[in-house]
Amino acid sequence: MNICTKCGATPVIISRKASGQMLCKECFIQSITDKVMKGIRRNKLIEKGDKVAVALSGGKDSVIVLDILNSLYKRNVIDLIAIIIDEGIEGYREHGIQIAVKNAQRMGIKHRVASIKDYFGKTLDEIMADDRREHGACTYCGVFRRWIINKIAREEGATKIATGHNLDDETQAILMNYLEGNIDNLTRIGAKSEPKSDKFTVKIKPLREIPEKEVGLYAVASELDVHFDECPYSQESFRGEVGRFIKELSVNHPTIMYSTLKGFDKIKPALKKEFAEKKVGIGTCIKCGEPASHEMCRACLFSKKIHQKE
Amino acid sequence: MTITVIIDKEKHALEIHENMNIKEVLDKMDISSQTVVVKRNNEVVIEEEILEDGDIIEVIRVIYGG
Repeated sequence: MNICTKCGATPVIISRKASGQMLCKECFIQSITDKVMKGIRRNKLIEKGDKVAVALSGGKDSVIVLDILNSLYKRNVIDLIAIIIDEGIEGYREHGIQIAVKNAQRMGIKHRVASIKDYFGKTLDEIMADDRREHGACTYCGVFRRWIINKIAREEGATKIATGHNLDDETQAILMNYLEGNIDNLTRIGAKSEPKSDKFTVKIKPLREIPEKEVGLYAVASELDVHFDECPYSQESFRGEVGRFIKELSVNHPTIMYSTLKGFDKIKPALKKEFAEKKVGIGTCIKCGEPASHEMCRACLFSKKIHQKE
Repeated sequence: MTITVIIDKEKHALEIHENMNIKEVLDKMDISSQTVVVKRNNEVVIEEEILEDGDIIEVIRVIYGG
């Protein structure tokens, strides 16, 4: 019988091919919490007194970010708030929002629910139903969601926005941008954002070194109430192809995601020095007053287009 | 021998050979073990776990698009 390589208990719930470690439920949960906290300290993601806004979807990644940061909240190291976005996806989003709200309430964390419809006049379903639309659902969703989260974070006085990006997400982004030659995008990948404007709150990724499978296992093992359903708009994308490729490689090369991330973090300072686009002064959107590199921010441009009459 | 597999809220009976492990059953069902967490008789198990006749396994998809 397999026994936990840390405490000797049975049964084990994970066999880490990369390290040879086998862990029981308690040691596995502790190992994830320790690793996240170590990453937070090493990358200086959070300082004492920070107010962290967690972008909470109800999915496994963001619920775990909230669960782990809650330990800092309970010890009065930080203040916490959850921002929940209703994109307006019928038959899918309602359940996720319900779970997100339930988790925030259970942990006694203040939350705000905001919908794309309230801010931009249409649900994502309504935007997608229009044949004249120029982009895919993920583009509209991402632009509108980021705009709302940033605005609410600022209103709430948040000093950091925490997202649920995991190791799989980060390695996909690194490989995708490299393969597509988007070197400027590569220079912006990291554990902590460096905003071009004071109006953008710093974004942090506490789960950046945790494989997605282990995030899922943490959720199941901790019996957290999370939304595992797939978004109906998730589509065949280049990111998906790259993700499958890395997962296939990981079967026989279990350290491949860690080495991709670690190698990237080593060369990033050189990349930034050579290739980061010079910081141009960022202006203000003439419509909403949010930061914008052009006359209007992307969210307002999209909003204008989706309301255009024929 | 026969096991019961619960996946996407549906139950299926599955005939398997003796000494098959979770990973082999997932392969048989064309499911990547990289994308799921499996419970056997309500306990989370590793993919090397050997199955026994009458086992109930629950396959929880934790990653989509993988």
